[in-house]
Amino acid sequence: MRKVVITGMGAFSPLGIDRHSTFANALSGRSAVEPAPAEIAQWLPHVLVAPAAADPEPLLDRKYAGVDRATQFALLATHEAATEAGLAGPPPDSRRFGVFAGIGFGGAQTVDGLYARFYKTLYDPGSQHRDPTVLHPLSVPRMMANAPAALISMRYGLHGPSNTYSIACASSAVAVGEAYRAIRHGYLDAALVLGTEAMLTPGSLMAWNALRVMAKPDPVTVARSCRPFAADRTGFVLGEGAAAMVVESEARASARGATIFAEVCGYGCSSDADHLTAPSAAEQVNAMRQALDEAQLLPAQVQYMNAHGTATETGDVVETQSIRTVFGPAADRLAVSSTKSMHGHLIGASGILEFALSVMAMNSGSLPPTANLENPDPRCDLDFVPLTARHECDIGAVMSNSFAFGGSNAVLIARRFAS
Amino acid sequence: MAGFHTVNRKRQMLEDVIKTYLINEKQVDPAKFDIPDLQVSALQLDSLDMVEMLFEVEDRCGFRLPDPMRYLTMSFADMVADIEAAVHAHGNGDLPDWVATKPET
Repeated sequence: MRKVVITGMGAFSPLGIDRHSTFANALSGRSAVEPAPAEIAQWLPHVLVAPAAADPEPLLDRKYAGVDRATQFALLATHEAATEAGLAGPPPDSRRFGVFAGIGFGGAQTVDGLYARFYKTLYDPGSQHRDPTVLHPLSVPRMMANAPAALISMRYGLHGPSNTYSIACASSAVAVGEAYRAIRHGYLDAALVLGTEAMLTPGSLMAWNALRVMAKPDPVTVARSCRPFAADRTGFVLGEGAAAMVVESEARASARGATIFAEVCGYGCSSDADHLTAPSAAEQVNAMRQALDEAQLLPAQVQYMNAHGTATETGDVVETQSIRTVFGPAADRLAVSSTKSMHGHLIGASGILEFALSVMAMNSGSLPPTANLENPDPRCDLDFVPLTARHECDIGAVMSNSFAFGGSNAVLIARRFAS
Repeated sequence: MAGFHTVNRKRQMLEDVIKTYLINEKQVDPAKFDIPDLQVSALQLDSLDMVEMLFEVEDRCGFRLPDPMRYLTMSFADMVADIEAAVHAHGNGDLPDWVATKPET
């Protein structure tokens, strides 16, 4: 089995337009949660969002104007990761270099825009001469779920597989895990991995609102409305953005003298096969144990966990139980935080964003907090690093949990790299 | 009935919409449009490029042009004339002013 290492990371998130500003704002406990814009608030006045820190389109080459917003986020996050890893164009071993992408709802902006245009044309008295079905010919290639992976393989000339995983909230954790496996088992030597999501659209927010899982606005400070593991939690906040990583075999990274940020050493995945939305402790435990076994780590050797921690009552309580079951007595020495309290839930991008934040926490020794956790739920009795970051921590390994609607669970472990 | 100069101005507008799109979005060398009897095939557009190019007109005129691939066997001038005729027919005998402006999306 080959060692798999991380040689580049990038993020374009509600907390920042790159990974360093994202991590710095996470450490400061800054929340990006705000009221939804007017076009959504007119129908859903209580809906909150965590929008990306900047509009992506002006930051990209004009040839990417009009591609779906999720693809634009992906292009920016992968650019940062690729630049760190010294990847600017087609590498000599391009057939051994793949793209692994995670996305929950591909093309949300394109689909919403398409319907908006159709009905606007249909009902606008000034457009009676127009056929409402005349739509942009690239609507399909823009909205398809694999659009980000496709454009990124083209951007960097990567001829290995370009695979897209759509597993709701676990999408990009699975993308990292599957890329790791492909390299570990020798199918590939390197991969550009990304997760992206851009569904802060009227259509998708109406759908999320109907599910009744969205946080209610805090009456005093809207930014503190998302409160994972708190007794006064009210649900989660949808975010948007992307994160990316370059992962490669240790041999490839060493041969080219690359800076190695961490080793990806464990991946577990499982399915509850039980309920569309309610989680199952048994299969979360199964996924965490798979990852620990693969990493050949004891629970006590993992010092930090970025929890799934969505701030839904069932989710928080079941995840706490699962962590206690897996970690046993070591659970009381494990620092756990949910950074979703600040950047919101990025669905398809959340797994890789939170894994990247975990790796940065390990390398810096600074742990981002669970923001807004002033009134802990007594059933959630772990060390959730409440309210403020913790510094000068000695972290040898980190775990990141991603548990999806549909019952899919994915768990990743990284540890400090030692050659 | 529209005057001769108005018709010519609108035809030029239509041609400019197509040329500008090809130069700016498909990196076609502007000098190519100086070639007498320029063939559409010489623009080296693939099928996706063709439908994107036609959408520039369709988006402004609000109807769909039929069978884009037939333009590959025409000269550029004949293609513009053909598109003009289609727009003309759709507009009940006149090239509409809205050829010059894209609708809000």
